[in-house]
Amino acid sequence: MFDPDVRYRLSPRVGLRPEPFGALAYHFDTRRLVFLKSTDLVGLVNALGDHASAGAAIDAVLAPTPARRRTYVAALASLCESGVVEPALESTT
Amino acid sequence: MTLTEPTHDHVDLAEDQAVAPVANPAVVADADLVDDELLVEEISIDGMCGVY
Repeated sequence: MFDPDVRYRLSPRVGLRPEPFGALAYHFDTRRLVFLKSTDLVGLVNALGDHASAGAAIDAVLAPTPARRRTYVAALASLCESGVVEPALESTT
Repeated sequence: MTLTEPTHDHVDLAEDQAVAPVANPAVVADADLVDDELLVEEISIDGMCGVY
Protein backbone atom coordinates (compact mmCIF):
# COMPACT_ATOMS: atom_id res chain seq x y z
CA MET A 1 0.00 0.00 0.00
CA PHE A 2 1.55 3.25 -1.15
CA ASP A 3 1.95 5.93 1.50
CA PRO A 4 3.01 9.41 0.33
CA ASP A 5 4.32 10.14 3.81
CA VAL A 6 6.92 7.41 3.47
CA ARG A 7 10.27 7.79 1.78
CA TYR A 8 10.54 5.79 -1.41
CA ARG A 9 13.27 5.03 -3.93
CA LEU A 10 13.71 3.53 -7.33
CA SER A 11 14.04 -0.20 -6.83
CA PRO A 12 17.60 -1.48 -7.36
CA ARG A 13 16.01 -4.39 -9.19
CA VAL A 14 14.65 -2.07 -11.85
CA GLY A 15 16.45 -0.76 -14.90
CA LEU A 16 15.28 2.64 -16.05
CA ARG A 17 15.95 3.59 -19.64
CA PRO A 18 15.25 7.19 -20.62
CA GLU A 19 13.15 7.65 -23.72
CA PRO A 20 11.85 10.75 -25.51
CA PHE A 21 8.40 10.17 -24.06
CA GLY A 22 9.70 9.50 -20.56
CA ALA A 23 11.29 6.17 -19.73
CA LEU A 24 11.00 2.41 -19.83
CA ALA A 25 11.27 0.60 -16.52
CA TYR A 26 12.10 -3.09 -16.50
CA HIS A 27 11.96 -5.17 -13.33
CA PHE A 28 14.60 -7.89 -13.52
CA ASP A 29 12.83 -10.18 -11.07
CA THR A 30 9.21 -9.92 -12.17
CA ARG A 31 10.05 -9.12 -15.80
CA ARG A 32 7.45 -6.42 -15.73
CA LEU A 33 7.84 -3.67 -18.27
CA VAL A 34 6.39 -0.31 -17.35
CA PHE A 35 6.13 2.78 -19.47
CA LEU A 36 6.62 6.07 -17.70
CA LYS A 37 4.91 8.43 -20.09
CA SER A 38 6.08 11.67 -18.58
CA THR A 39 9.54 13.12 -18.25
CA ASP A 40 8.34 14.86 -15.11
CA LEU A 41 7.43 11.49 -13.65
CA VAL A 42 10.85 10.14 -14.55
CA GLY A 43 12.53 13.05 -12.82
CA LEU A 44 10.33 12.49 -9.81
CA VAL A 45 11.16 8.78 -9.63
CA ASN A 46 14.87 9.53 -9.84
CA ALA A 47 14.59 12.10 -7.06
CA LEU A 48 12.44 10.03 -4.70
CA GLY A 49 15.32 8.85 -2.57
CA ASP A 50 16.55 12.39 -2.00
CA HIS A 51 13.48 13.47 -0.07
CA ALA A 52 12.03 12.56 3.27
CA SER A 53 8.82 11.30 1.74
CA ALA A 54 7.20 10.72 -1.61
CA GLY A 55 4.90 13.65 -1.00
CA ALA A 56 7.83 15.91 -0.26
CA ALA A 57 9.52 14.73 -3.46
CA ILE A 58 6.42 15.55 -5.48
CA ASP A 59 6.18 19.01 -3.98
CA ALA A 60 9.87 19.74 -4.42
CA VAL A 61 10.29 18.37 -7.93
CA LEU A 62 6.98 19.35 -9.50
CA ALA A 63 5.51 22.15 -7.37
CA PRO A 64 2.14 20.81 -8.48
CA THR A 65 -1.40 22.07 -8.25
CA PRO A 66 -3.59 19.98 -5.90
CA ALA A 67 -5.12 18.09 -8.81
CA ARG A 68 -1.75 17.46 -10.41
CA ARG A 69 -0.37 16.31 -7.05
CA ARG A 70 -3.12 13.74 -6.72
CA THR A 71 -2.33 12.49 -10.18
CA TYR A 72 1.33 11.98 -9.40
CA VAL A 73 0.53 10.34 -6.08
CA ALA A 74 -1.64 7.90 -7.99
CA ALA A 75 1.11 7.37 -10.56
CA LEU A 76 3.62 6.59 -7.82
CA ALA A 77 1.12 4.22 -6.26
CA SER A 78 0.94 2.38 -9.58
CA LEU A 79 4.71 2.24 -9.78
CA CYS A 80 4.85 0.94 -6.23
CA GLU A 81 2.39 -1.78 -7.09
CA SER A 82 4.51 -2.70 -10.09
CA GLY A 83 7.63 -2.80 -7.95
CA VAL A 84 9.34 0.03 -9.80
CA VAL A 85 9.58 2.06 -6.61
CA GLU A 86 9.81 0.70 -3.10
CA PRO A 87 9.98 2.09 0.43
CA ALA A 88 13.47 3.28 1.17
CA LEU A 89 14.83 1.40 4.14
CA GLU A 90 16.34 3.54 6.80
CA SER A 91 20.07 2.95 7.01
CA THR A 92 21.24 1.95 10.40
CA THR A 93 24.51 3.38 11.66
CA MET B 1 -36.89 27.50 -65.01
CA THR B 2 -34.44 29.75 -63.28
CA LEU B 3 -32.54 28.73 -60.22
CA THR B 4 -31.93 31.28 -57.56
CA GLU B 5 -29.04 31.09 -55.24
CA PRO B 6 -30.01 30.69 -51.62
CA THR B 7 -29.67 33.80 -49.62
CA HIS B 8 -27.43 33.74 -46.62
CA ASP B 9 -28.37 35.67 -43.59
CA HIS B 10 -25.62 38.08 -42.83
CA VAL B 11 -25.08 38.40 -39.16
CA ASP B 12 -23.31 41.40 -37.87
CA LEU B 13 -21.73 41.16 -34.49
CA ALA B 14 -22.21 44.22 -32.45
CA GLU B 15 -19.00 45.98 -31.69
CA ASP B 16 -19.84 46.13 -28.03
CA GLN B 17 -20.24 42.37 -27.78
CA ALA B 18 -17.32 41.21 -25.68
CA VAL B 19 -15.57 38.06 -26.73
CA ALA B 20 -14.83 35.80 -23.80
CA PRO B 21 -11.09 35.45 -23.37
CA VAL B 22 -9.82 32.03 -24.25
CA ALA B 23 -8.04 30.27 -21.45
CA ASN B 24 -4.43 29.53 -22.07
CA PRO B 25 -4.71 26.35 -24.14
CA ALA B 26 -1.30 25.15 -22.99
CA VAL B 27 -2.33 25.26 -19.34
CA VAL B 28 -5.70 23.67 -19.96
CA ALA B 29 -4.23 20.96 -22.17
CA ASP B 30 -1.55 20.19 -19.62
CA ALA B 31 -4.15 19.88 -16.88
CA ASP B 32 -6.27 17.61 -19.03
CA LEU B 33 -3.34 15.45 -19.98
CA VAL B 34 -2.20 14.89 -16.44
CA ASP B 35 -3.96 11.64 -15.84
CA ASP B 36 -2.78 8.58 -14.03
CA GLU B 37 -3.72 6.38 -16.92
CA LEU B 38 -1.54 8.39 -19.22
CA LEU B 39 1.49 8.55 -16.97
CA VAL B 40 2.02 4.87 -16.24
CA GLU B 41 1.35 1.89 -18.44
CA GLU B 42 2.42 -1.63 -17.68
CA ILE B 43 2.73 -4.28 -20.33
CA SER B 44 3.55 -7.93 -20.07
CA ILE B 45 6.26 -9.43 -22.22
CA ASP B 46 5.91 -12.97 -20.87
CA GLY B 47 5.74 -15.42 -23.68
CA MET B 48 6.93 -12.89 -26.21
CA CYS B 49 10.12 -14.78 -26.99
CA GLY B 50 10.11 -15.91 -30.58
CA VAL B 51 7.16 -13.74 -31.51
CA TYR B 52 7.87 -11.90 -34.73
